[in-house]
Amino acid sequence: MSAIAPTAAEIGAVVADLEISRAWLVDRASGREGPGEIVVSDGVLEAVTWLDAGEAEGVDERGVVVAPGFVDLHAHLREPGNEDAETVASGLAAAAHGGFTTVCAMPNTTPALDDPAVLAQVAAAAAASGSPVRALAWGAISAGRAGETLAALGELADAGVVGFSDDGAPVASASVMRNALAYAGALGLPVVEHAEDPTLTAGAEANDGYVATVLGLRGWPAAAEEAAVARDLALLADVVRDVPGSRLHLTHLSTAGALDLVRRAKAAGLPVTCDVTPHHLALSDEWLAGSRRWAWEGSGDPWGDGSGAMTAAPYASSLRVNPPLRSVADAAACREALLDGTADAIATDHAPHASVDKDVEFGLSANGISGLETALGLVLALVDAGLVPLARAIEALTLGPARVLGSRWGDGAGSGLVEGAPADLVVFDRSATWRVEADALASRGKNTPLIGRELSGVVLLTVAGGRLAYEAPQGS
Amino acid sequence: MTVADRERKEHDAPIAVPIVDSPPHEQPVAWRHRHLLDVDTLSWPEIELVMRTTDAMREVLSRPIAKVPALRGRNVTILFYEASTRTRVSFEVAAKNLSADVVNIAAATSSVTKGESLVDTVRTVEALGAQMLVIRHPVSGAPYLAAETFSGSVLNGGDGWHAHPTQALLDLYTLRSRLPGAPAASLDGRKVVILGDVLHSRVARSNVWTLTAAGADVWLCGPATLLRGLDAWALRGAAGRRFHVTTSVDEALRDADAVMALRIQKERMAAGLLPSLREYAARYGLTRERLARARPEAVVLHPGPMNEGVEIAPDVAAGTQSLIEEQVRNGVAVRMALLYLLAGVRSA
Repeated sequence: MSAIAPTAAEIGAVVADLEISRAWLVDRASGREGPGEIVVSDGVLEAVTWLDAGEAEGVDERGVVVAPGFVDLHAHLREPGNEDAETVASGLAAAAHGGFTTVCAMPNTTPALDDPAVLAQVAAAAAASGSPVRALAWGAISAGRAGETLAALGELADAGVVGFSDDGAPVASASVMRNALAYAGALGLPVVEHAEDPTLTAGAEANDGYVATVLGLRGWPAAAEEAAVARDLALLADVVRDVPGSRLHLTHLSTAGALDLVRRAKAAGLPVTCDVTPHHLALSDEWLAGSRRWAWEGSGDPWGDGSGAMTAAPYASSLRVNPPLRSVADAAACREALLDGTADAIATDHAPHASVDKDVEFGLSANGISGLETALGLVLALVDAGLVPLARAIEALTLGPARVLGSRWGDGAGSGLVEGAPADLVVFDRSATWRVEADALASRGKNTPLIGRELSGVVLLTVAGGRLAYEAPQGS
Repeated sequence: MTVADRERKEHDAPIAVPIVDSPPHEQPVAWRHRHLLDVDTLSWPEIELVMRTTDAMREVLSRPIAKVPALRGRNVTILFYEASTRTRVSFEVAAKNLSADVVNIAAATSSVTKGESLVDTVRTVEALGAQMLVIRHPVSGAPYLAAETFSGSVLNGGDGWHAHPTQALLDLYTLRSRLPGAPAASLDGRKVVILGDVLHSRVARSNVWTLTAAGADVWLCGPATLLRGLDAWALRGAAGRRFHVTTSVDEALRDADAVMALRIQKERMAAGLLPSLREYAARYGLTRERLARARPEAVVLHPGPMNEGVEIAPDVAAGTQSLIEEQVRNGVAVRMALLYLLAGVRSA
């Protein structure tokens, strides 16, 4: 039995009439959280009422929570070119199921989104899907994502990309990266970097460290991420002197060293932002060895600590992801960065794959975790463990990524519980849990190491731009 | 006292020697692992049982007709995704000595090159009657994927850089049969050196588990580029059992009881890990002069195939201290023992 009444609306239809009383409201845009009520009428957030202490008896942050709709800076929707893994429609359905109302698609499609025609194709697919989830897109930095010449950055900007990224691969050439930062900066858009020195990661399978050594997996060293971040920060410092509007966003940072470089660059006033993923926050490379404990429960030595940590078979290919799951110390560093604001956002790096690319030998399997639908559950695991305040977690899923997008694209997204604006919100029940099963995922990508696991926080309702995006089945 | 020490002490009582002429399921001692994927999950009593069973297989091999009917009517399929002569033939001879029906599949000549997945190949060999599957694969962990699909027993014949369980067990058996106290010498406190390309070696990784379980003082030695990451493991130890890592061949060999040289592959030069084979041979090759630093009765092992003149000098490989041929002989007996034990597995 759902904790709220049904909307009686179809997916995509305007939410005519919705009232949620006695819930925990979190709105970082206004800086408020606490017990309250909301009323939505004809798609508009008609009223936000904060309850005073006397009226709020029994309402706390462990029950039904209402927050602004989540914003994902980093999702792979795979269309065009790899519709076996995901389509725009299935990706948006997954987003809505995960509580996201804005998704920024990465341009590593086939063909790459390096041209306005591909953007038009993605936009048409989003419109045809009927989903009200806002589908935004990054354009490629380099033509064909080949890292050699600049893509049609100006034309892409005119056509409506939110910025540029060659994600999936780093921009190997420092001069191409420098030129991209300058050119995109003049267009007022950020460059998003997948930080990896490819000469250090050829053939890499797992985080270079103790677990990979014992398992005989080829190591992906932290130094490869840190060297790339250091290079990009040096380039940004160089470019920003000429082009003050240049902005660098480092996505899916995963190592303590890289986050520390960003911390220092921010302190020095460089226009840099970064995100961390739910899986780098909550999981660690111990999982590759067969452990299934949260990163903060790990010792770093699943073989030797005598805790009987090994509860699954080693080498589950669902754990193969780039950047790889890191050490428990790196996961703790991601958490620290989230708490002190070094990390601006939590981004899913949702990377769905068809089973033929995943159900193979670990070292031959595609990189990536299908993450839109489990992001909230992983983040709430940190909240449940008392490691991250709920409000900060919500902020990193809403206001934080909206600020990375900037005023041009970010304003309509995750903007808060604003009376009189179209309702853009998620309602979830922290007192309920759900079991991650392939059938329970709207994404075509069933590639998640969380299959079979109970996660806390059931999304009851997602409303995007005043229209219904997702509603939990009644009686479930 | 480590867990292994305790297990060794508790298990001082003799283990019943398996009667290898009877069918495996009639054994008094049950083997609880359906698969042999790694050695890290074997307890010391289980390793002891493998050793005793290998003794029994050695006795079979000494008979005029070296064959028992233990696995008659069973299909053992040997699926190799990597070129190998020694290990593949050793498994084949072992299975045939137990009267099993043997099917050999070299992945290069099967439909694997046409893009069939490992999972599909395993399903196919099972449909063709395979009951036990020996698999070698260049990707670490691949046998675990095979084991997930296959309803019989999977034996890991070597996966990537990860594990080579039968090699480690035959190395242990060979050392026990030749060090002072033979035929069941204790390795407690014995200094065993593994010399060479440890980084890329599944033999070294599996030996770390079994030799430290036996109480040996294990030293890994080689050029720094080929020891990457091993220090972090040595400090934590294999399930807490510490070992040593050094780039100094003199320090490693000093008073050693056994030295195992590892094969150096030419690809390591192309990857920039080593300047040249000449330099490697000069600095790390196991020569007579270097071996003189070890104890006079020290023994020499090599998992093969050897590059004589690179990681091991020909006169050392063929010398009186060398157990290399003995390793090959014991390899058949150990693999017979493991096929036999796994065939008799009783579910818990």
